Amino acid sequence: MKLTSLRSLFVSLVLPLVVLMGIGLSTSALAGDDQTSQQIENATTSEADLWRAVKAGDPGYTVAKGLEANVLINVAGNEGKNIKIEYINPAMGMVVLGVFGAFLIFYLVNGPSKLSKGFSGKMVLRWSKADLIIHWVLAISCLALIFTGITIMLGRYFLQPYVGEGVWSALIYGSKTIHDYVSPLFIISWLLSVVKWMPLQTLKMYDLKWFLVVGGYINFGPFKGKHPDSGFANAGEKMWFWTLAIFGLFISISGIMLVLPVLDLPREASMAALLIHGISATIIIGFTIVHIWMATVLSEGGMECMTSGYCDENWAVQHHNLWYDEIKENGTLEYKD
Amino acid sequence: MAVMKFLCDTKRCIECNGCVTACKNSNDSALQWGIQRRRVVTINDGEPGEASISVACMHCSDAPCMAVCPADCFYRTDDGIVLHNKKTCIGCGYCLYACPFGAPQFPQQGAFGSRGKMDKCTFCAGGPEKDFSEAERELYGANRIAEGKLPLCAEMCSTKALLAGDAGVISNIYRERVAARGNPGAIWGYTPKVGA
Amino acid sequence: MRLTRKKDQVDVAKKPALGLNRRQFLQSAGLATGGIAAASMLGAGMMRKAEAKEVPFDAPTETVRTICSHCSVGCGVYAEVQNGVWTGQEPAFDHPFNAGGHCAKGAALREHGHGEKRLKYPMKLEGGKWKKISWDQAIEEVGSKALAIREESGPDSVFFMGSAKFSNEQAYLYRKLAAMWGTNNVDHSARICHSTTVAGVANTWGYGAQTNSFNDIRNSKAMMFIGSNPCEAHPVAMQHILAGKERGAKIIVVDPRFSRTAAKSDEYAHIRPGTDIPFIYGLLWHIFENKWEDQTFIDQRVYGMERIREEAANWHPAEVELVTGVSGEQMKRIAKLLAETKPGTVVWCMGGTQHHIGNANTRAYCILQLALGNMGVSGGGTNIFRGHDNVQGATDFGLLFDTLPGYYGLKTGSWKHWCNVWDIDYEWVKGRFDPEEHLGQVPMNSTGIPCSRWQDGVLEDKSKIAQRDNIRMSFFWGQSVNTETRGRVVREALNKMDTVVVVDPFPTMAGVMHNRTDGVYLLPACTQFETYGSVSASNRSLQWRSRVIEPLFESKPDHEIMYKLAKKWGIEQEMFKHIKVNGDEPLIEDLTREFNKGMWTIGYTGQSPERLKMHQENWGTFDIKSLEAPGGPAKGETYGLPWPCWGTPEMKHPGSQILYRTGREVKNGGGNFRARYGVEHDGTNILAEGSYSKGSEIEDGYPEFTADMLKQLGWWDDLTAEEMKHAEGKNWKTDISGGIQRVAIKHGCIPYGNAKARCIVWNFPDDIPLHREPLYTPRRDLVAKYPTYDDRMVARLPTLYRTIQEQDFAKDFPIALTTGRIVEYEGGGEETRSNPWLAELQQEMYIEINPADAADRALQNGDEVWVHGPEGAKIKVQAMVTPRVIAGECFMPYHFAGVFEGESLAKNYPEGTVPYVIGEAANTVMTYGYDVVTQMQETKATLCQITKA
Repeated sequence: MKLTSLRSLFVSLVLPLVVLMGIGLSTSALAGDDQTSQQIENATTSEADLWRAVKAGDPGYTVAKGLEANVLINVAGNEGKNIKIEYINPAMGMVVLGVFGAFLIFYLVNGPSKLSKGFSGKMVLRWSKADLIIHWVLAISCLALIFTGITIMLGRYFLQPYVGEGVWSALIYGSKTIHDYVSPLFIISWLLSVVKWMPLQTLKMYDLKWFLVVGGYINFGPFKGKHPDSGFANAGEKMWFWTLAIFGLFISISGIMLVLPVLDLPREASMAALLIHGISATIIIGFTIVHIWMATVLSEGGMECMTSGYCDENWAVQHHNLWYDEIKENGTLEYKD
Repeated sequence: MAVMKFLCDTKRCIECNGCVTACKNSNDSALQWGIQRRRVVTINDGEPGEASISVACMHCSDAPCMAVCPADCFYRTDDGIVLHNKKTCIGCGYCLYACPFGAPQFPQQGAFGSRGKMDKCTFCAGGPEKDFSEAERELYGANRIAEGKLPLCAEMCSTKALLAGDAGVISNIYRERVAARGNPGAIWGYTPKVGA
Repeated sequence: MRLTRKKDQVDVAKKPALGLNRRQFLQSAGLATGGIAAASMLGAGMMRKAEAKEVPFDAPTETVRTICSHCSVGCGVYAEVQNGVWTGQEPAFDHPFNAGGHCAKGAALREHGHGEKRLKYPMKLEGGKWKKISWDQAIEEVGSKALAIREESGPDSVFFMGSAKFSNEQAYLYRKLAAMWGTNNVDHSARICHSTTVAGVANTWGYGAQTNSFNDIRNSKAMMFIGSNPCEAHPVAMQHILAGKERGAKIIVVDPRFSRTAAKSDEYAHIRPGTDIPFIYGLLWHIFENKWEDQTFIDQRVYGMERIREEAANWHPAEVELVTGVSGEQMKRIAKLLAETKPGTVVWCMGGTQHHIGNANTRAYCILQLALGNMGVSGGGTNIFRGHDNVQGATDFGLLFDTLPGYYGLKTGSWKHWCNVWDIDYEWVKGRFDPEEHLGQVPMNSTGIPCSRWQDGVLEDKSKIAQRDNIRMSFFWGQSVNTETRGRVVREALNKMDTVVVVDPFPTMAGVMHNRTDGVYLLPACTQFETYGSVSASNRSLQWRSRVIEPLFESKPDHEIMYKLAKKWGIEQEMFKHIKVNGDEPLIEDLTREFNKGMWTIGYTGQSPERLKMHQENWGTFDIKSLEAPGGPAKGETYGLPWPCWGTPEMKHPGSQILYRTGREVKNGGGNFRARYGVEHDGTNILAEGSYSKGSEIEDGYPEFTADMLKQLGWWDDLTAEEMKHAEGKNWKTDISGGIQRVAIKHGCIPYGNAKARCIVWNFPDDIPLHREPLYTPRRDLVAKYPTYDDRMVARLPTLYRTIQEQDFAKDFPIALTTGRIVEYEGGGEETRSNPWLAELQQEMYIEINPADAADRALQNGDEVWVHGPEGAKIKVQAMVTPRVIAGECFMPYHFAGVFEGESLAKNYPEGTVPYVIGEAANTVMTYGYDVVTQMQETKATLCQITKA
């Protein structure tokens, strides 16, 4: 009974998600293939009705106990499979390679964003210990999920042909297992981070201007030397936060649907969850790559914030001037001993 | 080269479930309580227009399970039979989501994580292990194809509704039936091109 | 996969495995045992592993030909055996009945070789605990208790419940055992299956059996199934039925329920339960009205059709619609179809027989076929599908309360015939019986207590029953008591008896549904796959079954257990006078030969073990369409030598596939209606007129053959000297040389005479079929017009009719209730519910209820409900909301047991024997009502109320 209500909860949750993400699952019949029963032209009406019912997925009677055992044909899953293979898998590949490549080129052309006044040596407290722990748990679990997830999604294309059967079995089985067992960690840290950091991530008017100068990261042309206003988080970080918040929600719920066989979800729900999971993963992975680029090499002094929790005062002034002004004013500014 | 198919004549299927237990009989070693590779579904049960259809893996020529499997554990034999490697299967369930016929079955060992090794109709053709080996028996059940026999479900069908075999051969059988009784369109499965 | 031994199955009841030791285990697997002293410590799982390892894949495979034990179609099976383990089952494509096809039960047959839920050794209930005992102790104690009761209360206080699961040889031996014990209190499930058919049909035209064959249905042009659902009960028969349909035949299904068979029909007529006779008269009304009857056939071969014409005139369409619910328009359409599409066959099963007027129902069906002239032709006939695999044989061998083997009856002459066959003194047998008369009945010559009412034999006031004392002890030998109605009474009777003995592969309900703490014995019998012998299919064909595996665990074949008891009772010398006994096991072939010597009435005389084995070895030579062998060693013979297979085996009669077939010579299986009731009635000739079988030298009706008749005809000298010696003063039924039969057939005549079929059965309470409302009828408005009988004595028991029908139960129990089979299970279901491959498919006892009735009670599909019977019992089952049944009617399968009025009986089973699936027995709430001739129970028409649990 408890399971049933859980199940219906998930069914009711997934439907809005499907609508939200704009995936319309077509339920048109399996076309053309000789696997399915086809209506032969001169069949009688009752036979036509029968096959119409069968193809429409009408439930019948069966003594079999399995999930939806009383439905002969349910094409929804197959439609979903087509979407996954035709659109989502390639999209993921393109995102991974494309975003990484684009930033690589940008880095090579543009170089990192330097501190215009150099390092001051005075370190300002930016993240608490709790923040650091949350961030790194989230980061590590997320990376584990990304690598195992990409193996699950695309490994059969880029890995399997090049490794032996035994290695592949171990790899894919390991990926699935790690993916399953790391996911709770991700969900918890994601939830904490969203709750804890949300107050800092509200959108402001000045964030719009930030975008107009591309955050001041461009070292040439009209953008060179611009340092737009930004608070604790700049507009780019806010966008990353909200993307992670929203798609993290999608990916978590859809992931839970996929990782709990006990829910006995209908095939439509499972396939929808799989698609939502894939789309969300694609988006999150794209942003993750950006985030890592930005934090590590593109922004001088940026990485320091998440290793010690302190940032250089000059870095704070250049990248988060409004925040710096604010803490200085209200006396919450704290230097490293 | 043969292309193996199932075909169910709905004018003959009486939902006696002989195919279901024949499968158990044949593949006993690989099947536990709750796993049925074949099932019979009755449409319009108890009303005029009622028809029963026996369904299992249809060994699709463009198999969704094969396309969607992240472990790529499926393969097709020279006879057109879709088989899978249980040692590679990771129990993700994608094949179950994708299959229009509900053929993949899972032991559902736990509430969380893997669903266990997927099981489905093998057309009584065993699996990737060595023919007649203990491992093949334990994981996949019978290998009647290697013995030169057809799946037991079809061989034991009480009314000869369920046919299994080379598409050309079974379509000829069906064509003869159609000619004799004049009701095309009563068929589930491989659809022969009837008439001129 | 062929090698596969058992996997661990999910044990639904989560019972620990029974601790059988390795020796027993290996014995069960038929393996030689070595030094394995410590092996009894092995758990069940390890033993199974050991078993699998014992049989390598390439171990030599022996293929054994056997016959499915689940229904009377008689499907052939190839069992593959390696190292004594049943490792494979292959379809017998060459078998003429099934061509390899099987239903769920047949396809799961190999599981019998596992037998994990079987009774493993003899057990005794002592102080509320099951205790393992030895066979010697079991026979000693059971035998002594029977002897003590015999001493105190006479032989009739021991009841011999038999089984349709016996082979012919075992059925015959069991009847002989009861006879030599000195009682007619012997019966089996045919009582509650087709006893009304046997009585009604035999009294119409001679033999009470399926007149044609499953295969012959292929030749029908119209088939009417009334109260029959072969899709679930005889699935392989559908192979022939659908073949007939594809050849253009029309299928009519008449049933209260839209069954799977109805789904395959061209015309489905819903009748209210218990209104078969009005339906048939309704058809006859249209037939007579439009002169569609076959007048020539009636004139030549039918007696009393005028009486039928008069009665049919009362059943004008409006009355038929009022009573049955079928519209006049549909009645006319069906009548026209039957009249214009010939040959047509009528098929009935339990839906027709299980009524308190069942005998009249079956006669009505026969009369319809007589009016249409559909008898004795290919594609016609009454194809009466029997239930269990050998219910036909067990019936033929007189495992019945009213006859000796071969329907000889219980008259002194009958006893003398069989004593002649047994070569023992009649006086000795007579001395075994209670000599006293009770309520005007002499036990040796009076009908005993029926299988349907043994509980009344236990509980009824003994001054009211026609025997010395109540039943005090009973053998439940291969019969589960959940197939008998009035569950509470059954339980009370089990509680009251001195001793309960269950002989069965499974504990069955008699072993577990009582409240006893002592005095119950369970003796493990083995299945038919662990022994061998012949089995009679519904079409009267005999098939030889070979042993597949050695008896599992400590079980023993039935005939061996019978021998042990006979020895304990000191009657083994007489009983096995001409039967070889190896150790304690009587030789099956000798039993076959012995009954060959005595079964002249129905021609079970030509089927010697040698001929049957020859047929078994040559399945493939018989044509599936004609059932005859066009060549080969059995050339010209019909498969299984369907009885009557006249004369001695040496006569090589080919068997009679189609009864009463005048178009053929008797020597080729032809015949005509039997002269069984004299030559005239009320001054009217009842012998055939101008109709006779092909080649008959007497070209008109003639009475049955006797020695005197041969002399009158001048054919006496055709007998050999040896035959003359035996034939003198005898008739075709009692001449054990077979000479009279041989000579009659030589002259083209059938030994039993040539008469008309009779529509008037003057020796029955209703001489023509009359409609009477069920005892528990929902239609109070019809009770006055169509009342039941007055209460009366039937056989040895007082039987209620009017007393029950007078009370109005319909207002509190408004839903009509019927029961029936489902394809996955059989009979009481103990065996099939212990087979995991089958049990997995039907895990819940249910009641089919119409959406309208469900809505009235706020029930959803799958809800738990209480079904209340009008006699006070109630059962808790699942509701299946379905349009298969109409509003106001519901249906339950009868194979479930193991739960009694909401209380699980699992705790009462010996460890490890609880079937995979248990559930409420439908018959717990089924009610009183017994056929006035045969004591058939009325399980197809009663009332109930359904409430949400």
